[in-house]
Amino acid sequence: MNAQDIIALKERGLAEAAQAATLAEIEAVRVKYMGRKGLLQDVMDGLKSVPPEERRDFGRAANELKQELTALLDGRKATLSAAGKAAGRKQFDVSLPGAWRGLGTRHPVTQVIEETIRIFSMLGFTVADGPDIETEYHNFDALNTPADHPSRDTQDTFWLDGTTLLRTQTSPVQIRVMERCKPPVRIIAPGRCYRRDTTDATHSANFHQVEGLYVDRKVSMADLKGDITFFAREMMGPDVKVRFRPHFFPFTEPSVEYDFSCHVCGGSGCRVCKHSGWIEISGAGMVNPKVFNIVGYDPEACTGYAFGMGLERIAMIKYGIEDIRLLYDNDVRFLGQFS
Amino acid sequence: MKLPLSWLKDYVDVDLAPKELASLLTFSGTEVEGIRTIGGDFTGIVVGEILTCERHPNADRLTVCQVNSGTETLTVVCGAPNAAAGLKVPLAVIGVTLPNGLKIKKAKVRGVESFGMMCAADELGLSEDHSGLMVLPADTRVGTPFTEIAGPPETVLELEVTPNRPDCLSMIGMAREVATLLGKPLRIPAPVVKEESRSVESLASVALEDPAGCPRYTARVLSGITIAPSPSWMQRRLAAAGIRPINNVVDVTNYVMLECGQPLHAFDYELLDGHRIVVRRAKPGETMSTLDSAAREINPEMLMIADGRRPVAVAGVMGGAGSEIRDVTKTVLLESAYFKPSDIRKTSKKLGLSTDSSYRFERGVDVENIEWASRRAAQLMVEMGGGVAAKGCIDVFPSKPARGQVTLRFDRARDLLGIAITNDQVVSIFKALGLGIVSRDAACCVAEIPAYRVDLLQEADLIEEIARIHGLDKIPSPSPVAKIVPGAEDRATRALLAFRGNLVGLGLSEIMNYSFLSEKLLDLVGFGEAAKRVVLPNPISADHTVLRDSFIPQMIETLGKNRARQAREAALFELGRVFCKDEAGRNAEVDRVCVGLMGPVGRPGMLKSQPVKDEEMFQWIKGILESLLAAQHVPSIVSGGLSRPDVTLSMMPSPCFEEGRAVRIRIAGADCGVMGLVGDRVRAEWRLTDPVAVLELDLAPLLANALRIPVSRAIGTFPCVDRDVAMVVEDGVSHEAIVATMWKAAPPELVDIRLFDIYRGENLGKGRKSVAYSLTYRSMEKTLTDEVANAFHDKVKAALKTELAAEFRES
Ligand SMILES: [Zn+2]
Repeated sequence: MNAQDIIALKERGLAEAAQAATLAEIEAVRVKYMGRKGLLQDVMDGLKSVPPEERRDFGRAANELKQELTALLDGRKATLSAAGKAAGRKQFDVSLPGAWRGLGTRHPVTQVIEETIRIFSMLGFTVADGPDIETEYHNFDALNTPADHPSRDTQDTFWLDGTTLLRTQTSPVQIRVMERCKPPVRIIAPGRCYRRDTTDATHSANFHQVEGLYVDRKVSMADLKGDITFFAREMMGPDVKVRFRPHFFPFTEPSVEYDFSCHVCGGSGCRVCKHSGWIEISGAGMVNPKVFNIVGYDPEACTGYAFGMGLERIAMIKYGIEDIRLLYDNDVRFLGQFS
Repeated sequence: MKLPLSWLKDYVDVDLAPKELASLLTFSGTEVEGIRTIGGDFTGIVVGEILTCERHPNADRLTVCQVNSGTETLTVVCGAPNAAAGLKVPLAVIGVTLPNGLKIKKAKVRGVESFGMMCAADELGLSEDHSGLMVLPADTRVGTPFTEIAGPPETVLELEVTPNRPDCLSMIGMAREVATLLGKPLRIPAPVVKEESRSVESLASVALEDPAGCPRYTARVLSGITIAPSPSWMQRRLAAAGIRPINNVVDVTNYVMLECGQPLHAFDYELLDGHRIVVRRAKPGETMSTLDSAAREINPEMLMIADGRRPVAVAGVMGGAGSEIRDVTKTVLLESAYFKPSDIRKTSKKLGLSTDSSYRFERGVDVENIEWASRRAAQLMVEMGGGVAAKGCIDVFPSKPARGQVTLRFDRARDLLGIAITNDQVVSIFKALGLGIVSRDAACCVAEIPAYRVDLLQEADLIEEIARIHGLDKIPSPSPVAKIVPGAEDRATRALLAFRGNLVGLGLSEIMNYSFLSEKLLDLVGFGEAAKRVVLPNPISADHTVLRDSFIPQMIETLGKNRARQAREAALFELGRVFCKDEAGRNAEVDRVCVGLMGPVGRPGMLKSQPVKDEEMFQWIKGILESLLAAQHVPSIVSGGLSRPDVTLSMMPSPCFEEGRAVRIRIAGADCGVMGLVGDRVRAEWRLTDPVAVLELDLAPLLANALRIPVSRAIGTFPCVDRDVAMVVEDGVSHEAIVATMWKAAPPELVDIRLFDIYRGENLGKGRKSVAYSLTYRSMEKTLTDEVANAFHDKVKAALKTELAAEFRES
């Protein structure tokens, strides 16, 4: 036997080891080649008859046989036993539910408020606040509302006493901010408002508005249009268009009302927009110089725009909510939809 | 207001389709809320005359009429209350389909055969009037096709006129708008009255005793008038505009009011004592009944039209029953006047009586148009009722006000609107609107405001005119320019947004309840002091009488409602304001947050089915409190104990909470909230059988540190050593006391304390418990040896022993 024979023997052994399909077969190959009475032992037994000059090669070949075959057999064994263990272990049902408490949800009106804050923050507006219990002065007088205007009636307004009331709009925050700060002013004021409306699908005695006010040296109606349009697209979607109609409010002059094109149907008409393609949103305008005079701003030195929006209305349009009462019913099945 | 287009076209040429015109008006400030078509196909409907009208033998409310259709006499059963022999009415014979879709068939009504139908105006689509048969003028020829009377179909625009534009409450007013917008001429009739030689002054007199309330009063006298239905064209127009025709004189007053916006009143001249008109305030004790036959409470603040003896009309609001036009009226005194708007508004409100007349007076009519309206009405009354007008017109107008003048700076208009409109364009808009240009230079112009534009008082008003006539769509809509206002600050907002994010992150869902609720609910739950509640004097209902001083009542109610809807669990929060009176009795508002838990909210899925235990529920709500305090940087014992704990919890008595499960929360020494398990009595109200936990906190202390910027500290690189301690203590020794003792006794190397076991058992003796903690020691300078760690730990144990009488269980 010489080194060549040993190499041939190694190749046969490796081939057999590769074909062994079970742990028993692998063990059989190991015993056949490397057992105490195995083929490798036979080879080693013949070492004495090898001429001294070949012994080196012979020995190396025998060593390689041992190492390579052992490595292959160990590898095969590991693979097979791992597969066997896996086969014997209990399987996960990965479709079982996870067990971590989920996130809560923000109320849809809050989502609209937070979104409004985000949008106007981009333009440099900050949030201003005022009390829910207002004075008649801030809620009506300072906003140039005529003394005998019907909105002041006890029919429409929750009066607490002769001079204080629950604010009927967020507009008094405008007045408070202008009383407090000199121009320029860039604020939005989201908040709760109260009117003595009989509750139905579109009216709620408790509701939310956001007021916007921008006063600076040369604020124009074009600024108002541009900013409202930006808001509309950020809030309802990039393709939304805005149209403006002249209107009348005592605290702005000129005054406008504005509509958004329907984000649901894209303007072709659907249930949400009552098949008109447009959705009436709210009012806005250039601050009436009379209001500037009341708060002590010089109407010659500054101009400004103001707008107000009903937030329930925006939420209802945005999320397709058909009845405002759902927003105050707090049914967890309803609230869970706004995650 | 209803605008019949055929009427509008009397004054201006309109070559637009109704939809286009509607859009033009909407985008110039008069919103068109609807477009309606009146009338339609009247084929087969003729003028019939009721020959006889007898009670139906089997029905009290029905009549059996013999009706001449012009070609035959038909038997028609009729349900209208006004059916009477001699009336001429629209008659639909068998086979005809009415505009409302009803097909006329031969029918047996309560045993009597009927061969047609006499129609009310609503059945013909002419108005909403269903009060009775539509009565046609007596001189209408029987058999005339009804189409000839009804005229072609009419298109009517429904307008929403804003309160500042009373001039738009008339056909001519709207025609003026349309003419301006289309650049067309406006045609205003020039009425000429047939007058007799007797002067009006010889027949009547006017005493204007209150020129402040009535700056102008005119009167005309028309005699020889025959009261009759007005011609069908006028009836059609009135009906289309929403006013029920009555008779020629009353119809003319309404017609002219609709035409020019000036309300008129016609008195029966013979019923006016002394043929005298006195304009004065009501006298104490005076009473009167108005045309709607209601006795009215009048008071000395109200302006009256009186005759020589008594009030005959509430000025500007409604005429009196004692001087109205009757069928036998021959002579008419026609009033056309200007009344002070605020007076009319007050009177109308006081009487709870709003009429077409008061609606216009309280917004302001055209003081310069009073005489024109009177002349126009006189002309039409004479035309329609025969007769003749006395010569002239009594016109009491003590001080004619000057027209207003307003200066407009062209640059100001361009700047405010953000458009590049030329001076010439501006001036031509003003001229088209009927404004006079008093003067003009390169910088500005002075406009004279016609009396009918009561809304144009300042420059901004003129700028609005430019905007709406030029078109808002011509104003550009540029990309916004972001701008930071110096000093702008939004820390409070950021803190609130982040706080809400933390609540949501804890798995809580936001609810919103009304700010007002019933006293009953507040009493039931029993928070706050009843005397400090803010009560609404005029609530919308008994369920909404008080402003809430706590969120907890509605939170429990919300949980209960959801439970009733079979929700198994809920983890909710509400953020907002509560209200109460402060020490000085002033109304105060406080921002708060409230959390409510129901059901197995703190457990993973498959463990949810086991019943929730009280203590477990309490630990969940406490866990929320701890998480919030940590997230909001409120130093507390639970957030590491590295600084002095600011939060303390103490038991409190509460009618809402279960005995011994009510905790008052104080932060930095101030009461700022409560937490606990809702008691049986309250839960029973909503049939909540399982534990319910609520937590309510003032927002201010939670937000005070919210935006604190954390400062990084070394976390140490040397390994830590854990040592456990198990001890037996009296049941009354709290976890907090144990932990505080440990922190106090230990060196700075103590970095963490974890409770891992509580045990109570008989072998420990009554009123005792075994508790076990794991303490972690770590040095920032070196690896701790066992000896050193043991020495630390022994110190801790010694303190526990001396201070809390702890006994250690050796392991
Ligand atoms: Zn749509």
